[in-house]
Amino acid sequence: MMAWATLRRHPARTTLAMLGIAVAAALLLDMVMLATGMSESFRSLLLTRGYQLRVSPKGTLPFDSEATIDGAGAIVRALRANPDIKAVSPTLGATLTIDDSGIPSAFTLGLEREVQGDYTVEAGTDITRADSTSAASLPRIVVSQTFLTRAGRVVGDTITISSGLDAQLRTAARSSRVVIGGMGRFIYVPGETPVIALDLALLRELLGPSFRDRMSLAMAESRRGDSTSVEAVRAWIATTQPRVTAISTETAIRQVEERLSYFRQLAFVLGAISLGIGFLLVATLVTLSVNERRGEIAVLRAIGTQRVGVLQQVFLEGLLLTSAGIIGGLALGLVTAEWLNGILRDFPGLPSAFDFFVWSSDAGWRALVLLLTSGTLAGLLPAWRAASIPIARALREEAIG
Amino acid sequence: MKAFLSLVVAIALGLASAAPLAAQRSAQRSAPRGIAIDARMAEDLGLAVGAQVRISAKPGEPGDSATIAAIYERKADPAEVARREYRVRLHLDQLQQLMELDDRVDRFAVGTRDGKSVDSALARINHVAFGFRAHKSRDVAVQSSRTFRVVERFHTAIGIITVVASAVFLLCLLLLSVEERRRDIAALRLMGISRATVVRAIVIEAAIVSLIGSVLGAGVGWIASLLVNAHFQQLYRTPLVFALLTPQIFAFATGLSLILGIGSGAAAGWRLVKSSPLSLMGR
Repeated sequence: MMAWATLRRHPARTTLAMLGIAVAAALLLDMVMLATGMSESFRSLLLTRGYQLRVSPKGTLPFDSEATIDGAGAIVRALRANPDIKAVSPTLGATLTIDDSGIPSAFTLGLEREVQGDYTVEAGTDITRADSTSAASLPRIVVSQTFLTRAGRVVGDTITISSGLDAQLRTAARSSRVVIGGMGRFIYVPGETPVIALDLALLRELLGPSFRDRMSLAMAESRRGDSTSVEAVRAWIATTQPRVTAISTETAIRQVEERLSYFRQLAFVLGAISLGIGFLLVATLVTLSVNERRGEIAVLRAIGTQRVGVLQQVFLEGLLLTSAGIIGGLALGLVTAEWLNGILRDFPGLPSAFDFFVWSSDAGWRALVLLLTSGTLAGLLPAWRAASIPIARALREEAIG
Repeated sequence: MKAFLSLVVAIALGLASAAPLAAQRSAQRSAPRGIAIDARMAEDLGLAVGAQVRISAKPGEPGDSATIAAIYERKADPAEVARREYRVRLHLDQLQQLMELDDRVDRFAVGTRDGKSVDSALARINHVAFGFRAHKSRDVAVQSSRTFRVVERFHTAIGIITVVASAVFLLCLLLLSVEERRRDIAALRLMGISRATVVRAIVIEAAIVSLIGSVLGAGVGWIASLLVNAHFQQLYRTPLVFALLTPQIFAFATGLSLILGIGSGAAAGWRLVKSSPLSLMGR
């Protein structure tokens, strides 16, 4: 096969060309992974516990501000009364002071244990309410690994949590002794944030009368998971609860994408550039290679090789080069994606489970096929020119040098 | 024009008046106080200086009347660029009253007198602090700039990948263009031109190509930066500059391109002059 022989005849040139295509393929693959990965990662994060809807204070995203929803009890009861809603999980967020520990305060989530979708217990036991019948029984809380590390505590320790500090009187308005019952992995909280989860009623008590009937957010799960049913439930919440904003997973993804649109645009620009580089590289290489072999091609034509045969051989050369480059690019792309993902995961305020670069077979293969097509097409014009070489003139030029 | 404003996004600036609270409240009842809103909000809601609005802490509450006293441009702050909420500035006591937060603030900004050490002021405040903590502005800035440091590292990584791709591309191109002229080079060698002279000529040519390429690339980059800035400034409605071509960046890119070009030219040239002129001629 002439194409294979030509590539083998110039090992340095072929290796360099393959390397160039591999780098272009890797960059293209990375950019496709970046463009599609954020959405996929965020979607799986939101649906970790099955809740497809978030109910937040009017006009805000969940925990985007310190705003809370008043009349939370009535809203939660109304949602739970809807037969299309399977479960509702109210959440109240606050910052509580931790007495006698390595950290002065921690982000705190007040939740209902039976329906909560914010964490999974990794060690110890889940949160409990205070047992009013027994004075010795303290409420149990769940904390993050970061909390334990930074506060210098272990599961089983008893701590005092407080709120409403008065700087002048140097006292806390309300405080409670609690037992660290377990350590949990918090799905939506950044890994570097020390966080506490405790019973919603206890947190409301600690925050005082003005928080008696408040929540920061509620998560709702539609009984049917298809997007039409979820959207119907979202519309019903929006109509019946004018003081809140109901956000579906799709809306949340759209809003997050809006905030991270910079990365999508960057991915598009760099993806297009890498596609262009791949095309140019193959086109230049095959063109120069054809020019170099004008005499050789003229001889082949003179001894009876069909024009289509020459066209096929040169075309195949581009295809082989691109294919080999893409195979290397796939491996290189996955390695560089891991490296780039590691850099971007340091973003402050992002949940630790959030990834920027996610391999999606559909998008990944589509990108590589696009590069393969582009690279192969790049060899089309030089192949056509090679097949159209005027035989006599080429032979004469070759003879007299 | 009236508009409902949710105060969850409001930033209170200003100073609490020294007058008694009762006197302030009666004054507020008699004449609406002035608030400042950001330009994007004014544009979206059709508000102008002098417009009367009602502001309340919760949806559906009557709240207070206020007058738009000023419209301000947002700072070119990358941390805020993708945040879509509106910003309102009120007098501190007015916000405290609306939110029913008597005598509470989120933070203080403290300036030390000339010659006084920031560290000693910080230590003294934290010694008596209860329920709050003082930080140096510089430390806060470092913490809040983490996002940009991550973006910077990401850009550097992408830059490295791009430079590697460009280097390979350039080397390939020069190798091929030099090899294509092997008969010319063979003729020069047969005429008695030394290897070093031939290589020097190839290197000079590669350097010129790299230089012209850099200038053209800088031109394309400059046009691209104009398009990027126009697009993103309009998208986010911010004066923030997203892409910037500075003389330093141009010098770095040109220098790098020259180094790569000269290196590639030298490698390609030496590779060719090592062969005998006759074999280059195909004889």
